[in-house]
Amino acid sequence: MAASMLLSFQSFSAQVDNSKTSTVKIYGNCGMCESAIEKAGNVKKVAAVEWNKDSKIATLTYDSVKTNQNEILRRIALAGYDSEHFFAPDEAYAKLPACCHYERAKASAHKDEAMASLKADKPEAGMHDHSAMTSQDKNQLKAVYDGYFSLKDALVKSDGSAASVIAKDLLAAINAVKMETLKPEEHTVWMKVKEDVTTDAEHITETKEVSHQRDHFTTLSKNMYQLIKVSKNDAPVYYQHCPMYNDGKGADWLSKESAIKNPYYGSQMLSCGKTVETIK
Amino acid sequence: MNLSHKMSKSIILTAIIALFAVHISYSQKVVRYHLYVKDTLVNFTGKEKRAIAVNGQIPMPTLTFTEGDTAEIYVHNEMKEKTSLHWHGVFLPNQEDGVPYLTQMPIEPGETYIYRFPIIQHGTHWYHSHSGLQEQLGMYGSMILNKRTNDPTFRKGIDDLPTVPVVLSEWTDYNPHNVERMLHNASDWFAIKKGATQSYGEAIKAGHFKTKVKNEWKRMLAMDVSDVYYDRFLMNGKNQSTLSQFKAGDKVRLRISNGGASTNFWLTYAGGKITVVANDGNDVEPVEVDRLLIAVSETYDVIVSIPGENTAYEFLATPEDRTKSASLYVGSGIKQLISPLPRLKYFEGMKMMNGMMKMNGDLDDMGMNMSLNQMDMNIVMYPEITGSETKDENKNSKMEGMDMESKAGKNEHAEHSGDQYNSNKLSNIVTLNYAMLKSPTETGLPKDAPVKELRFELTGNMNRYVWSLDNKVVSEADKIMIKKGENVRIIMFNNSMMRHPMHLHGHDFRLINGKGEYAPLKNIVDIMPMETDTLEFNANVYGDWFFHCHILYHMMSGMGRVISYEGQPKNPLIKNPRYAQRKLFSDDRHFHVMAENDFATNGNDGMLMIQNTRWSIGSEWRLGYNDMHGYETETHIGRYFGKMQWLMVFAGFDWRYRKEGIDEQEQNVFGQRNTKDDRALASLGFVYKLPMLIDFQTEVFHNGTFRLQLMREDIPVTKRIRMGFMVNSDIEYMVEARYILNRYIGLRTHYDSDMGFGMGISANY
Ligand SMILES: [Cu+2]
Ligand SMILES: [Cu+2]
Repeated sequence: MAASMLLSFQSFSAQVDNSKTSTVKIYGNCGMCESAIEKAGNVKKVAAVEWNKDSKIATLTYDSVKTNQNEILRRIALAGYDSEHFFAPDEAYAKLPACCHYERAKASAHKDEAMASLKADKPEAGMHDHSAMTSQDKNQLKAVYDGYFSLKDALVKSDGSAASVIAKDLLAAINAVKMETLKPEEHTVWMKVKEDVTTDAEHITETKEVSHQRDHFTTLSKNMYQLIKVSKNDAPVYYQHCPMYNDGKGADWLSKESAIKNPYYGSQMLSCGKTVETIK
Repeated sequence: MNLSHKMSKSIILTAIIALFAVHISYSQKVVRYHLYVKDTLVNFTGKEKRAIAVNGQIPMPTLTFTEGDTAEIYVHNEMKEKTSLHWHGVFLPNQEDGVPYLTQMPIEPGETYIYRFPIIQHGTHWYHSHSGLQEQLGMYGSMILNKRTNDPTFRKGIDDLPTVPVVLSEWTDYNPHNVERMLHNASDWFAIKKGATQSYGEAIKAGHFKTKVKNEWKRMLAMDVSDVYYDRFLMNGKNQSTLSQFKAGDKVRLRISNGGASTNFWLTYAGGKITVVANDGNDVEPVEVDRLLIAVSETYDVIVSIPGENTAYEFLATPEDRTKSASLYVGSGIKQLISPLPRLKYFEGMKMMNGMMKMNGDLDDMGMNMSLNQMDMNIVMYPEITGSETKDENKNSKMEGMDMESKAGKNEHAEHSGDQYNSNKLSNIVTLNYAMLKSPTETGLPKDAPVKELRFELTGNMNRYVWSLDNKVVSEADKIMIKKGENVRIIMFNNSMMRHPMHLHGHDFRLINGKGEYAPLKNIVDIMPMETDTLEFNANVYGDWFFHCHILYHMMSGMGRVISYEGQPKNPLIKNPRYAQRKLFSDDRHFHVMAENDFATNGNDGMLMIQNTRWSIGSEWRLGYNDMHGYETETHIGRYFGKMQWLMVFAGFDWRYRKEGIDEQEQNVFGQRNTKDDRALASLGFVYKLPMLIDFQTEVFHNGTFRLQLMREDIPVTKRIRMGFMVNSDIEYMVEARYILNRYIGLRTHYDSDMGFGMGISANY
């Protein structure tokens, strides 16, 4: 085992001129991460990356004339993996397969800072602190709605893999809803639709095929509409309709913007449809 | 007692400070810079290449002045070639404008030249060489004109922020003259490097075979959003750099100039929204966007903030072709990256162009009245706006799409024209466009001045890389005469397939953008294909002012005009105006060389050609290794006609010698006798480019015989394989295939009716 590692290491350094080696921590979870990290970092004859999934330490061997550690780590970060020196773009992280969603160092630190800077920006924020807390309690369906709207955005972009990842979050949000704390009207509707929305979200998670996801999105949207009508919203929500989908049977969706961005056709017919109801 | 003492002290102090400030801002302060221009070697890619450095650096040093100063800039030319410096966007006397052979004679090698002018404005500007292609080699730098602190337009929270000048640029390892030559020769080497060949093979794979055929039917070569492949993109001369002096909570004003020779950049930021506060050196009402495109030679002032602790946020500049990028990290700590812009969907772009292009080469805006970059046809190529090009999506939507057309026909869905190209309506991403710029102060022109209206059509073609206004290049057009005191209104329509950042020297103009009296002041307007823009300015300073496209290779091919005032005094720096004019015109009259030879088993096949805007002089040869294969040359001197240059009329001379050739065809299809074995003939004829890019040639020889020929070269079969064929009425024919190994060398195999089958190595220059 040790010998084979040594061998493979040597074979790498043998391919790289002006070779320089360094070790660096890269965040990740599993064997899939390992191949993704190494693939993103490797450049034939210029850079070779070996990442250990237990220690999270990567050994970088590279041609110090042609490249440097930062170039390699930048590529790896663009593939979704944080390191000591780079944070991946949030979209790249979100696109990783579920098993690769490692705990981000920045996630917690980051959100706190964002909150802090928000407070610093707005001196009156302190006064709203309390009410913000209670409204969070009150509106626990908000996470469900947010999940739904992100899912819609992914479908607008015809991005099946993103939709699948987002639907997983939506599913989690649905399961996290504590029915007993809902308002009576919400409670009633929730009882009615919960099973269906769960099924739809599950189906959307399980596939990356946009057309299949869109099928489930039609029924998901109908149920969401019933739910959002009885919820109190801080901003208006638009119920929109596309008459073309499904051989002219049509389909509906909810949006936070009045402008039409059709989730059923993506780029083909992005602005097809109209707002049929504004829910306040 | 103690208190009053303190007070009086502070009063005195304030008085002194005030006095000092007054002294600085109102004295005629002369600010002097010495610039040493020198040849240098740089290494951006691992190879040492020639560049031009000023005071030992690329970009050139940042020049900083305050409104009211007098600039005195000593230029020491330590190179072996002539140079000049143009102060881009700066109001100054015409003699100081820095356009060689127009406003001054060039600065000779060894000479020290002094530019001296009062600074009568503020804002972010830049400066660059206006000589040849020197700008591409490193001669660009920031020029920052600060507001006086007591300026009535001083904006708290904007003008008092820390500022960092940023010059964007690009680097190519090729000699820029070679770049220019390759563009004129329609070389597709840059497309190969970019992965943008858009060959038939790639088209079939992407399900766009029909699109490609239609594209060639309309006589278009593969289109790209930019023409040149660059090795590196730079911000302040570096591909990656960090502004580590800033920390969480800070706001930073970046004063950005695009010093790229031919690259428009997308600007995006990992730390949140970008607030645009000025454009082309003029304040605009702050506007928050997610991204903006900075066209060649524009300047934008933007404010970014640093949201998180111990994090440096990536400010990313991505060239429009999205091949690479440059990053500036704002803040200190771990670098938070932003998603790179995804690759362009070239075939979607091709489909869009097919729709817009009429058979005669004109563009058809289908009644959309496009202007001010509000509708961007290119968004069909942007995955982040119009969705990614996944396989199933294609399949499904194509079927659904067909369904829709047949069923819904022309109902509500057909009426989206326009909005389907409005990026801000289609996505949550807010992209800046010119209609969002508003001046904080009124910019109206004098009301009682006479109005002079000028109209220009931006014209050109990619095949021969000729760019012009109203199909005339600088050397073919007269100066445009205006009168001092007039309000000049210029209406431009871009009828070419590329976007052009049009720049006016010496004046700011109002860009009519729906903001009424608050129209923004600019000195460049980037016009996309099919757009019409209107700009106006008050003619208030005598001189010969250049008005041109700022894409360096477009300008050098003659895309511009000289705007001049009636009755203005002579420029004392131009001692011999006729000589100067000839030198000015020589830029676009310049001939470009092109050569090819195939060293094959059955002979040598090749050509040598020199050509400029309208003329082409070329010789082709086929030289066998023995008398039986024969030897022949054809020489043509021709002139191109029309905006698209599909027609060339020529006079020619043919010479050939052969002994008992393998192809004993002594009669042509018209039954005319046609000696191949020994002939020397003069001819007249024309070549016309047919749909599918086939050259149809008709030629009449002095002995009365004539010849018709069809030829197509460089059919892109795959990324690197090209095919071609020729057939003529002398019953000669040829088919060839070539594999492109690198910029200069290819492997070629062909069958020729005279010389038979051959294989060889083809070299081209
Ligand atoms: Cu300029
Ligand atoms: Cu141009």
